[in-house]
Amino acid sequence: MDSKSYRLREFINPADGRSLVVDASAGLVLGPLPGLEHFAEAMRPISHLVDGIVASSGQARNFTGRTRTDAALLVRADWTNALRGPDFVLPPETISHIPLLNPSDALDLGASAVVLYFLLGHEEQIEANCMRTTVQLALQGSQVGMPLVVDVQPVGPRVVLRDKAIELGVSYALEGGADGVAVPWPGRASLEMILKMSTGIPVWIKPTSLEAVESELAEALSLGAAGLWLDGRLFSWPDPLGVLETLRAKVHKLISVE
Amino acid sequence: MYLGLQARLDRLFNRHGDGRAVCVAADHGYMSDVTPNVVNLRPITTAVIQGGVDGILLSPGQAMRLAPFFQGRDGPALILRADWMNMPRLGTSNVANAVPQRLLWHQKVVTAGQALDLGASAITIYLFLGYNDRIEATGIEVCARFVSECHQVGLPCIIEPLAYGGQVTGANSVEILTLGARMAVEMGADALKIPYTGDVDTFHHLVDVSQVPVLVLGGARSDNERDALELFAEGLEAGASGCLMGRNVTKSPDPQRLVEQLCGIAHKGWPVERAMRTEEWTYLKLKAHPAKCTGCMLCVTACVASHDSGAYGNHLARLRIDPGVKTGQHKVMFCTLCKKCLDVCPTEALRWHPENGAVELLVDKCTACDKCVEICPTEVIVHSDAGIQIASGETLDWYPVVCDMCGGEPECAIICPTDAIFVAERKELA
Repeated sequence: MDSKSYRLREFINPADGRSLVVDASAGLVLGPLPGLEHFAEAMRPISHLVDGIVASSGQARNFTGRTRTDAALLVRADWTNALRGPDFVLPPETISHIPLLNPSDALDLGASAVVLYFLLGHEEQIEANCMRTTVQLALQGSQVGMPLVVDVQPVGPRVVLRDKAIELGVSYALEGGADGVAVPWPGRASLEMILKMSTGIPVWIKPTSLEAVESELAEALSLGAAGLWLDGRLFSWPDPLGVLETLRAKVHKLISVE
Repeated sequence: MYLGLQARLDRLFNRHGDGRAVCVAADHGYMSDVTPNVVNLRPITTAVIQGGVDGILLSPGQAMRLAPFFQGRDGPALILRADWMNMPRLGTSNVANAVPQRLLWHQKVVTAGQALDLGASAITIYLFLGYNDRIEATGIEVCARFVSECHQVGLPCIIEPLAYGGQVTGANSVEILTLGARMAVEMGADALKIPYTGDVDTFHHLVDVSQVPVLVLGGARSDNERDALELFAEGLEAGASGCLMGRNVTKSPDPQRLVEQLCGIAHKGWPVERAMRTEEWTYLKLKAHPAKCTGCMLCVTACVASHDSGAYGNHLARLRIDPGVKTGQHKVMFCTLCKKCLDVCPTEALRWHPENGAVELLVDKCTACDKCVEICPTEVIVHSDAGIQIASGETLDWYPVVCDMCGGEPECAIICPTDAIFVAERKELA
C-alpha cells in the first residue's frame, strides 16, 4: 500500500469502503454562507460525525487541534466563479478557473487529499485547463502521495444532456488521474455506468436536495458508491447535526438503509 | 541521452526483431464521449495484452492506474497521450454529445519528464492541419517543444498529423497528410501515427518522404473486421512499420483475437486470409476436387512464382496437373505427405518441418541419390536446375525440390479460382 492509499483511508472507512464528506470550502467562492459564518465553530460539532471536511487553504489553517475521532482534512485546490449565479452580488461575466495550490502545499497543511473542480459546459479553454490541472495535480500527487478528488461540475450553459455530461466529467477525471470523484446525482442508469467505469475508484454522490438525500443515498450505496458528498447547503438545512447523524448511520450501516 | 531514445524505440518497434509494432490506442475516454470501450478499459487492456500487443496508448490517469500491466520485459510498451483536444466533441453531428464544443482546442498536458516518470516508452501528440492558422501554429509550437523536451530525456516523440477542418477536402486530404508527415519529421518526430491515405501508392509516398517509422491508425470502427485487417496489410505493403489501432480493436467483440490477427500480419507475414482463419492449423494437408479442376495451371504457375521467381517455365513446380487423357478429367497431383520419401532417404536428409509439418530437405545431408524422386507416387519431387555446395565442401549437381506448403499458406490453394485444390485438414504427423 502506498502513501496515497494511506491518506485515502483517513476519510474512507477501510472497514466498509464508505465515506461521508462535507464540502465547506464554498466561502472561497460565495462568501459567508448561512451557518458557515464562523468556520471553526461550524466544524467543531460536525467533525466527529463525518469522515472528511473540505476546506479552503485559509480555513484549513484554522482547522487545528483535530483528534483521531475528528474528520480528515481535504483542501480545495482551486477557485472558480462558475458557481456564482446571476443573482450573486458579483455575477460572473466571464468564467474563470484558477488553480491555487499543489499537492505539496496540501501536504504542508496536513491534508489527506486535494479537491479540484472539473467544470463542464463553459468555454473550451476552461475545460482544457481543467484537464491539464487534473493531470498535473494527479502526477504531482503521486510523487508526494497526495490523493486527488475531482468534483465534477456540469454547470455551464452548453450542457445539453446532464447525465451524459456527468459521465463525461467522470471519464475525464479518471483519464486525468483522479483518485476519487464527487458527482451530482446522475440518475440510476448513469450512476451504474459511472461505477462500472470507475473500477474501484471511490465515487461520492452529491444529493439533489434535502428531500431527496436519503433515497438517492440508498440507491447509490446499493449500486456501490462510496457515500455522500454534501456541500455548503447543509448548513442552511434545518437541524444539520440531526441530518448528519442520520446520514452517517446510513452510510456506515449503523442502522438499516431501509 | 540518445541511448535511452533508441532503447525505448526498440522496446516499441523491435520486440520481435522485425522493426514492426502492433499498438492499440485506448485513450478515447480522455477526449471523446463515454462509450463501452472507455467503460471497459481494464478488461480490454487485459485482452489486447493476451493478444500480444506491442504497445498501448493511454491517458496519463489510466497510465498510472494500469501501470502493473506494463511491468516486466514481456509487458507492452506504454505510449502516453501527452496532449488533449476536444475534436471528437465538435459540432452537432454527434447526437450523443452531452456538452458540444464550438472551437477546436488543443493543448499540452504533461511534460516529457512526467511521461518518463510514468514509465512511458514514447509519447504521442497531435498536429492539426487544415482547421485554421492559429491551431496550426499552436500545434507546431507544442510539437517542437515536446520534441525538444523528449530528446533531452531520451524519450521518443510520436507526432500524429491530422487533416481536420474547413480547409480539408476530399481532394487535398492526402496532400495535407503528406505535408503534415514531413513537417512532423522536420520538427524531429521519432515516429509518426497517421491515418491511411486510402491507397498503397499515396501512402507509400507518405512513408517514403517521412523516413521514420510510420504507424497506421485505424480511424472509426469498421463493421467488417476484414476492412481493418486489409487496411493494415495495405499499410505494411506501403512501408508502414505497424499500426496504432483504436476503436477497431477496443470496440471489437473480441479484442484479443483482433490483436492476434494484426500481430500475425505484422510479425508472421500472414496474408489477411490466414489472419481471418479461426482454427489454428499447425500441420496442413492439401486436398482436391478433381471435378472442379479446369486445368488452367494457375496453381502450377503460382507455385513457381512464389518459390523460384527467376525460373523459366513450370518444370520446378511442386505440383502438377495430370491432363487426364484416359479419364477426360484433369487431376491435380501434389504432395500428400505420404512419408515414402522420408522412409526411403538413406541419410535422413528429409524430415517433417517442425512448424508447418511439410517435408523439409536438409540439403547438407543430401547425396542426390534420387531415391525420393523415384519413389514419389505423385511425381512432384523434381530435380533442381542448379547444383549446390553443401557443408562438407562437396557440390551436388542437383537436389530434390519438395513441397514446403509455402510455410503454411499454400499459394496453389489460395490462387485456385475454382477451389479445386484446398487446405482441408490438419495433418497428424506419422
